[in-house]
Amino acid sequence: MKQIVITGTRKGIGRSLAEHYLALGWGVIGCSRGEPSIEHAQYRHYSVDVSDEVAVIEMARDVKRQFGEVDVLLNNAGIASMNHCLLTPGSTVNSILQTNVVGTFLFCREFAKLMRKAEQPRIVNFTTVAHPLNLEGEAIYAASKAAVESLTRIMARELAELGITVNAVGPTPVLTDLIKGVSSEKMDALLARQAIPRYGKPEDVINAVDFFIRPESDFITGQVLYLGGVT
Amino acid sequence: MLIMPTSEEVETLVIESVRLLAEDFDLAALQQPNSASALYGNEGVLDSMALVNLIADIEDAVSEKFGASITLADEKAMSARQSPFLNVKTLSQAVLERIGS
Repeated sequence: MKQIVITGTRKGIGRSLAEHYLALGWGVIGCSRGEPSIEHAQYRHYSVDVSDEVAVIEMARDVKRQFGEVDVLLNNAGIASMNHCLLTPGSTVNSILQTNVVGTFLFCREFAKLMRKAEQPRIVNFTTVAHPLNLEGEAIYAASKAAVESLTRIMARELAELGITVNAVGPTPVLTDLIKGVSSEKMDALLARQAIPRYGKPEDVINAVDFFIRPESDFITGQVLYLGGVT
Repeated sequence: MLIMPTSEEVETLVIESVRLLAEDFDLAALQQPNSASALYGNEGVLDSMALVNLIADIEDAVSEKFGASITLADEKAMSARQSPFLNVKTLSQAVLERIGS
């Protein structure tokens, strides 16, 4: 049975991804800061803060003991804060960078070690259209995802020798908790900047992830795929 | 449960890890490693990818055998005047220090 590690599985896109791969018969290893929201014989949950280095190392060790190799890592966990830069506290900046950048890095580092002997090892990171669209009010969130894109491109080169591909998917806004509190006028203006002006759906993200992790995609690495026609 | 190993036990684990790596990477110079075998830098025969694999293998083996979660490529290793990855002896010492910390 293939094993996929997905961060941030308690809700939103992460939960949809977990349910999708469980339905396909995969073993899913999920994590979130809180308790699990998925009950399934092939689902294993870890309550972990993705930016806590010691906790991530412990999780990886336990995954190795319980499951051996890992085939796929999806670095979905992320937080956002919609604020004008002049109104953004330093603590918020640190928190976003810790979860989005440090968390993604730590999971790549620890789980790539468990993917070295997998047949088609894949890492998919998560970015956002807020970065290429330079969205006002999302300076720190977009900057953190720009860092994730750099990590993706460089790790793609560094991990190529291990046969691991590293790519990133950049969803448009999806109606999840991440964008609650943003006015409908702002969201409409944002959607208008996409080639296809609609909200994304979890299925759109799943489709892009499926593409990156299929066996035939072993010649595709270091790529960032934005949804909705954003370039 | 953490089992504090002796320096000899750690060196044995490191030597075995190097031997298995040498098989995987077809490294003739490390087929029969010993305490003085050079690993990385200077006269070492490992390239960076082989070193990455060795570090991951040893971290795994330490976890399995001694129940300790260690990270070999930490700040201490990066800033050390003498790299812990020079030879089997320096690497064994680095492993022992991290198990005990």
